[in-house]
This record gives sequence, structure tokens and C-alpha cells, in this order.
Amino acid sequence: MDNLMQAFILLLAGFIVVFVVLILLIIVVSLYSSIIVAVQNALDKKKEQKNVQPEPVATPAADPSSEPEDDEIPGEIIAVIAAAVDAVYGERPHKIKAVRRTRSARSAWSAAGAFDGTRPF
Amino acid sequence: MEILNQLWQIIIHLLSDSGFMQLTWQNYVMVLVAFCLMVLAIKYQFEPLLLLPIAFGMCLVNLFPGIMGLPTTEMLTEAEVLARNLDPSTYTTTVYNGVTYYNCTQYGGLFYYLYQGVKLGIYPPLIFLGIGCMTDFGPLIANPKSFILGAAAQIGIFLTFIIATCIGLVFPEAGFTPEQAGSIAIIGGADGPTAIFVTTKLAPELLGPIAVAAYSYMALVPIIQPPIMRLLTTKKERSIVMGQLRPVSKLERILFPVIVVVIVSLLLPDAAPLVGMLMLGNLFKESGVVDRINKTAQNELMNIITIFLGVTVGATASGKLFLTWQTLGIVALGLFAFCLATACGVIFGKIMCKATGGKVNPLIGSAGVSAVPMAARISQKVGQEENPGNFLLMHAMGPNVAGVIGSAVAAGVLLSVLKG
Repeated sequence: MDNLMQAFILLLAGFIVVFVVLILLIIVVSLYSSIIVAVQNALDKKKEQKNVQPEPVATPAADPSSEPEDDEIPGEIIAVIAAAVDAVYGERPHKIKAVRRTRSARSAWSAAGAFDGTRPF
Repeated sequence: MEILNQLWQIIIHLLSDSGFMQLTWQNYVMVLVAFCLMVLAIKYQFEPLLLLPIAFGMCLVNLFPGIMGLPTTEMLTEAEVLARNLDPSTYTTTVYNGVTYYNCTQYGGLFYYLYQGVKLGIYPPLIFLGIGCMTDFGPLIANPKSFILGAAAQIGIFLTFIIATCIGLVFPEAGFTPEQAGSIAIIGGADGPTAIFVTTKLAPELLGPIAVAAYSYMALVPIIQPPIMRLLTTKKERSIVMGQLRPVSKLERILFPVIVVVIVSLLLPDAAPLVGMLMLGNLFKESGVVDRINKTAQNELMNIITIFLGVTVGATASGKLFLTWQTLGIVALGLFAFCLATACGVIFGKIMCKATGGKVNPLIGSAGVSAVPMAARISQKVGQEENPGNFLLMHAMGPNVAGVIGSAVAAGVLLSVLKG
């Protein structure tokens, strides 16, 4: 019976310690994350203000993602895309009519998830 | 005639030295078990990186038990030393009954020396170092509530501890001591290095069956977890699409390992070797200033330790020690612990789902057992079965890496309470 009692005490102690330690980590991680995010936001705002006020001449650098780059896809990339299409369709008849850059509907996180999730075990 | 006689003697000597004469039926059974594990590793690719060396180590030790042989000291007289062309001055002497004997050391088997890394608790923390280098704690930092799911999955460990202790009360001869029960229960953490680390300290005599069971269940995650996940969740719950995680800054990532190691080491010093090395590896990765060390730790070092750990853990499964009723008990209790851990994770996932008004998919709870990243990928796979456009992987990685920390914390609790 002593062993059983000890086991129950360990069960309770285990529950409590594991949850307390991990809840403590939740609090600490949330706390420092919120502090860092707040500080970084404040710094970003300051930077923005500095950039806007003194130098109206300095035009912001062009956003590379907004540039139309459809015509700039190198031949090697097209070859890779063609190979990928061939790998998917195999011997089924297929034809590549156009290669267009599309705006990704997924974020990097989702894309990574999609990539990993579709890989066979 | 004399030549034939000598030839016959040599053949008899070779035969008596061969495995056919030395091995028992248990060894042959274990060789067959090893072959089955090899098939699982090679054909079905169940954790092949670990299962293959374990299976081969198991096979080798049962074909040639001397490979795990302990070093011995043979006491030889001076004449015997000289007859073997040895230098007497290099040995210490013992005088017994007026005769001087030379203490000639016979070296142990190859695996005996490699096994010291397991026995002394060196390999598991080094494996954790490599895991730390490969682990992205970003999803956990972005959603710290995942820690709860990592903690929930550890409940299976402690419930199994109770069951193992109760078995000892009902069947005193087949039962387990509290130390052994603790070592078996840690299988529920689904974390091979942690199971080995705890077992070497609490019940080294059970290392073989526990390590083999732990790694086998880790390998069988894709088979064991999905039915439990489907059983405990509704179709609607499994279809829940979770919102995107926020991006995590580099500073947050760098601070995380430092903060975790400080908190865990102060609260649970017994967990410090595992958590410390895990976080050191992660700091190597996130700091970005020690790229060479980072690459070595997650590739070459990790691979070398995996080979050593695998073959020597497999080599602890020699027939006579492994084929016992106790092993069957360990295998059954280990499976129970693992299923219970999965179930507890999913149930807490459901609680979080209700608490957040349906924003959390309960399937990510099952990833609270460690088994990185396989358990998270199972959450993703089961979630996608209901909704092909649902990507749960990154959300499941949070509880998954929290499970690694959680199982190390649970190990620390077991060690601090049960270690004499």
C-alpha cells in the first residue's frame, strides 16, 4: 500500500510540477514576446517618422514584389517548371501554354505546412 | 594419421566455438525479431535512422554475445605470461598463496565500450543538442498556449506509473519496483533519448526492452495515433481551420532558449542536462553566429551519436534478458502510456477548442507527445483527411516541441522523486 500511496503522491506532484513549470513558461514567453513586439513597434514608428520628415526627396525603394516580372523569368526556371509539370503528369499528354507568376495565396508558414504535409511518410 | 587427428581436433574446436554450439533458442528468436525490425525500417521506413541500427545491434549481440562482453582480468603466472609473449613488467601483480600472479586485462567487446555513452547518460543529451539545432521553436513562441498541450500529453506518463505500481501490488512476482515503473512510464513521453536517460539512472536493467519499446512506438506513431484522434474528435472539430501564426522576431527566438534553460534548470535541476543541451543547440541555430558548430551538431555529431546509440541500445536486447514476461509487461504498458498520452493531448485540445470558441483544432493536441516532427505531421495528415485545404502542421509544431520540453520536465520530476 505504501507503494501505491507513493505512486499517487508522485502522480499529483507530477501533474502539478509539469503544469506549473510549463504555465510559468507560457507567462514568461508571452510577457517577453509582448515587450519585444511593443518595443519593436515603437522603434519602427520612430524610424517611419524620421524617414518622412526631413527628406521628402528620398523616394522609397521600389517594392520588388510589386514589379511585373512576368517577362523576366529566366529560361532555367522555365525548364525546372516544365520538368515539374512533366513529373506530375508523366506520360499523359500535356502542353505548357504559359508560365505566369501568381500572387501566392499562402503565407510562408502555410506553404511550409503544405510542403511538409504533402510529403509521403 | 596424426595429421588427420589434428585436423579433426581443429574442426571440433571450431565447431564448439561456433555460434551453433554457443547460442540458445532465445538468441535465435531475437535474431528473428531483429530481422522483423529491419523489414519495418527498410521496407516500411518506420524511423529507419534509429530502427535499423537498433535492429542490427540486436542481431549482432545475439549472434555474438561477446561483442557486449565486459572487460575481465585474468591472473596468470610468470610462465604463462611469457608463454603468451607478453611483457610481465607492464602488469600489476597479486601474490596469492605465495605465488605471484600477473593481472592481465582482457578487453571487453566493441559494443561494451560504445555502450558506456548510454550507461553514463552521455548520448541522450548529445542527441538533444542535435535536436535543438534542428528545432524551430517559432510556432511555440508565437502561440505559447501550446505549452499546455505539451504538458497534457505528459499525464499519460504519470497515469502509467500508477498502473505499473498497481500491477506490482496485484502480482508481486511479476511487478515492477517504483524505479522500474517510472522508467516504463516515461515511454509515454514518446521521446527515445529521454526514456534512455531516465532508465539508465532509475532501472538500467530494463534499458533494452524500454529503449526498444520507446523507439518502436515512436516509429509506429502513424499507426497508433490516428485511430485515437478520430475516436475522440468529431468531424466538425477535425475540420477547424486555425488562424495564421504571427511572425516571430529574431530577438524572441534568441531569448527563448536562454529563458527556458534558466527557468527549468532552477526549478528542476535533474532535467538540466536534457533541456540544457536542447536549448544550447537551439541557441546555436538561432544566434546565427556559429554556423559551423550548428551544422556539425545537427549533422555529423547527431549522426555519429545516432549510430552509437542505436547499435548499443539494440545490443542490450540479448535473448536471455529480453525474452521474459517482464518485457511483455513493458511493451504493453509502454503502448498504454503512449495511447494515454495521445488521448490526454487530444482531450486538452478539445478543452482549448471549447475555451477559445472553436479557434483551436483539437487534433494538434496529439502532437503534445514528443516524437518530433512525426506527431505534428500526423495532426496535419488527419486534419487534411477532413479538409484538404487545412494546414495544421505549423500549429501542431508548437505542442510538439512543447512536448519535448514537457517530457524532459516530467523526466526531471521522476528522477528527483525516485532516484535514491
